[in-house]
Amino acid sequence: MDIVLRAVVLFLFVWFVTRAVGRRELSTLEPFDLILLVVLGDLIQQGVTQNDFSVTGAILAGGTMALMTVLFSFLAFRFPKRIGPVLEGDPVILVERGRTIDRNLRRNRITLEELAAQARINAQIAHLDQIEWAVLETSGQISFIPSRS
Amino acid sequence: MSDIPDQLTLKVNRDREGKRDVVARRIGVGVLIVVLALGLLNLFGQRPSTMTEDAEAATLEVYAPERVRGGLFYQARFTIEARREVREATLVLDPGWVEGITINTLAPGPVGEASRNGDLSFELGRIPAGDKHVFFLQLQVNPTNVGHRSQGVQLYDGDELLATIDRSITVFP
Repeated sequence: MDIVLRAVVLFLFVWFVTRAVGRRELSTLEPFDLILLVVLGDLIQQGVTQNDFSVTGAILAGGTMALMTVLFSFLAFRFPKRIGPVLEGDPVILVERGRTIDRNLRRNRITLEELAAQARINAQIAHLDQIEWAVLETSGQISFIPSRS
Repeated sequence: MSDIPDQLTLKVNRDREGKRDVVARRIGVGVLIVVLALGLLNLFGQRPSTMTEDAEAATLEVYAPERVRGGLFYQARFTIEARREVREATLVLDPGWVEGITINTLAPGPVGEASRNGDLSFELGRIPAGDKHVFFLQLQVNPTNVGHRSQGVQLYDGDELLATIDRSITVFP
């Protein structure tokens, strides 16, 4: 029983950490971030399984994690206005018709340099004033809609 | 000029009206910092502490952590300094010392081990006046062992109680 409880607690902890840290930090997979994610996964795994090396234990822990993922997904789907934003966050507009929304950039710790780099990489946009809309999605990716002119 | 993308609104997604996500995130980071600070302050173990009982016949000192976590290895050190000769030094430990805790080894090996009214009894032998006897227990917390329990220690000379230390241990998951 305790392995299921540990899996639930650590699932909630990982969710809490990802929400507290912010989506941008977790969506950019620089080599350091990648290593950090692997290390975090290893630390969490030890807390869940501890000295349990059994197949039963792995099934219980893995099954709990999978079920919690389904539960969160269902809640976000069933209550998109009330629970969805809490569990997954909202998209945030960063650029509106070529004009940056500095408050939103600052709140999400995104610099103009980073925004410009993402525009070049993801949308082949050379200048920020060529962006109609830039939106920080709930996945942490920034989507760009270029100006028509 | 294109309209705002579908499913987005300026109120919610640009102006963040009624949204407290930044405040919630700051509170979340604050909670994490507090938990880590409490960890540094030894709230979750396993920094050892020393407890001493000065008795007429001997001084008994216990050096062991009072807070540990599941799976951790740790050591308990018992030091007895005899003021007068202790002919049959016996250390009696509450069952909480081994309840859900594995004894990996003990050193030096006691002369005898027994149960004394449900407690653990280690017979250490003779300690001459002015001598010091140090007894080590190497322990490991079983992962499923969570809670708080008594870990009292008593020093006897045969059946004569010489010193008592009341302590307890808290095991975090």
